Amino acid sequence: MMIYNYIACILLIVLGLYTVCTQKNLLKTIIGLGITDYGINLLIVSSGFNDGGSVPIYQMSDLLNGVSSQFFVDPVPQALTLTSIVIGACVNAMALAIVVMIKKKYGSINVDDVRRLKG
Amino acid sequence: MIQHFPVLAVMSLFLGAFLVEIFGTKREAVRNAITFVTFTLVLILLYALIKPVILEGRVISYWMGNWEPVAGYAIGIGYEVDALGLVFAIIAITAFWLSNLYSFGYMKGEHHLGHFYTLFMMLCGSIIGFCMTGDLFNMYIMVEIMTFSAVALTGFNTDKDGALEAALKYLVICSVGSGFILTGIALIYLQCHTLNIAQLATMLAGRLTPTTLMSFGLIVAGFGVKSFMVPFHTPLADAHAVAPSPISMVLSGVVTKAGVYGMIRCIYILFRAMDLTQMQILITTFGTVTMFLGVSMALKQHDFKRLLAFHSISQVGYILLAVGLGTTLGLTGGIFHAANHMLFKGLLFLAAGAVLHQTGGITDLDRLGGLSKKMPHTTICFLVGAAAISGIPPFNGFASKWLIYQAAYTKAIESGNFYYLIVTIAALTVSVMTLASFVKITQAVFFGQLSEANKDVTEAPKVMLVPMYIISALCLITGVGYKFFASYFVLPAVNSAVNVTNYIDVMMGDGYAAAAGVSNMAADNVMISSWSPVVYLILFVTVLAAACIVILASSGDRGRVVEVTDKDALKHSNFFSGEEPVYSHVSGSDMLWGYKHNFKAYYNIMDKIHTGRMTDYCSMVVIAAAVIIVFMFMFMR
Repeated sequence: MMIYNYIACILLIVLGLYTVCTQKNLLKTIIGLGITDYGINLLIVSSGFNDGGSVPIYQMSDLLNGVSSQFFVDPVPQALTLTSIVIGACVNAMALAIVVMIKKKYGSINVDDVRRLKG
Repeated sequence: MIQHFPVLAVMSLFLGAFLVEIFGTKREAVRNAITFVTFTLVLILLYALIKPVILEGRVISYWMGNWEPVAGYAIGIGYEVDALGLVFAIIAITAFWLSNLYSFGYMKGEHHLGHFYTLFMMLCGSIIGFCMTGDLFNMYIMVEIMTFSAVALTGFNTDKDGALEAALKYLVICSVGSGFILTGIALIYLQCHTLNIAQLATMLAGRLTPTTLMSFGLIVAGFGVKSFMVPFHTPLADAHAVAPSPISMVLSGVVTKAGVYGMIRCIYILFRAMDLTQMQILITTFGTVTMFLGVSMALKQHDFKRLLAFHSISQVGYILLAVGLGTTLGLTGGIFHAANHMLFKGLLFLAAGAVLHQTGGITDLDRLGGLSKKMPHTTICFLVGAAAISGIPPFNGFASKWLIYQAAYTKAIESGNFYYLIVTIAALTVSVMTLASFVKITQAVFFGQLSEANKDVTEAPKVMLVPMYIISALCLITGVGYKFFASYFVLPAVNSAVNVTNYIDVMMGDGYAAAAGVSNMAADNVMISSWSPVVYLILFVTVLAAACIVILASSGDRGRVVEVTDKDALKHSNFFSGEEPVYSHVSGSDMLWGYKHNFKAYYNIMDKIHTGRMTDYCSMVVIAAAVIIVFMFMFMR
């Protein structure tokens, strides 16, 4: 049942954005970004899924002649998801590295203390 | 042969990035040689494309691994270079080439320069790839590489105050924006099962189902974040203030333009929604608000680079306003202003960087002053940039701003909508406020009295002055030869944005667009008006000369400071008038005090908005995205 996937991914995205918007702890902000990413990844990988579908190994001629073209899992979203996961990991790693240095410099990872640039 | 140039350009930049990381971390000469050679090579590759793509109107397509479309379905990743993409790529590479030259002088002696140039080249490669790709997901990848390298470069001087904070804000807010873009792309894929822009253009145009409308809203919001329109502007202002000056130049000149390019590609080619009145109103409203808020915030800043940052937000507002008008004239003005903004804002940031470099890191306007005596060349360049951004003829800012006013006014007359008249007046007002703010900055930094701390300041090194003079010359050339520049550089880009059928046919095979029922946007003739900057220039020079003659003719002993050698003799002097010369420089914060006092209520609200808290900024981003989506669902279904 794909509808649960879509509901779950929208919930994850909204939850992640809510975390980013409300949590004062910078680590939790980064966790929020991660949750948003997972939601989007779930959305992409769900878009290619076909219930009862087979492995996507076909000749182009098979597809054009309509031989079982209905039932295979779309491979493109899986590749997209892999790429997206890698990018998400990079975001997290980089943000965490910056937070570590902010902790050293500001002595705090609370959003209210990290606000020297304003106005 | 020529179809390989776009891919080679992107590849050589990424290859150069790795080469610098491997060979260039230790030796400066090797590092500089690799970066300079790579950037020059890419410059040549892209300029070689001007003739076929921009002048002859060809569209170059390149399928990665030769995966050409089968049975009308694109299955590979394709590069597609039309005049629109190439114009933005040329803006990017020009800015990067000059900025690279400048950073040889500016960054000299810093640590970890190997990493600096690696990131710098990756930033350039990603932006050029972004402008040239014909695949939606590839666009997203390039946007992400762009964000990463821009964030890392923003926080490059980690020991500089606020650098880490600005980098984190930039990263988090831009990641939320990228999340919007990716969700939009996923929704498009769900609906259409393809990612090729040319093929999607045949499927999406005029058929806004709830799914594609949602993805449209998300993508507009996402590219809004990337182009830093209000209310997404907050990380840009912070990032500029702390980034090294060559990076500030490319951040404002190129990275924001990449967002604008994404927006144009999206609304003109992918969804082709610009004939909808509601869409025009949405984009012009964002443009107007961005324009006004940027300049009004700039008036109250007292940090040199932060002030310039708010100006670049304001100028992006101009571009978005012009793009959002949906007319060919508006698009011409918008793209022309994008190119011009890269030039003059780059010049201003380089001049600001020269001041910062020579004074040992002072960017506070209250502590600078009188530098024109010590840094005459920088002052000349800065004045050129200031004149260009304020729209003073014969510099290029005047030409493009005039086109934008004209486009907005024509729109108001044609559509009979009172709203566009207000937009026109706002655009004129903002230009005046820009001038006011540059009067302030010029007085506070370059004129007035030299402070005691800056007595030993010297002129910037030649390697920094050369790029500044090149850009100054370009500002003048594009301003005087505006007609040539607009007709042979900008108009082809506009034509390629409105002639979608050619774009689709080159990528997907002849007759594809016609089979799918896609037709071109009605392109009205662009009339670049008949004003002449030379006449304005003569008027300007005449007035200036008259003022100079009046001042010189009446010059007696007025304002002359008598050098007193013997302090004691002063006490008994009969003709003592005035006092000893004291340091009485009118500093940046004092200049527009009256204005700030009168608009105190407005600035109090602005201070409440710009809290510096990341959670507030993220909430602004999410709320604005929600507003865009709700607007679309209410008015565009």
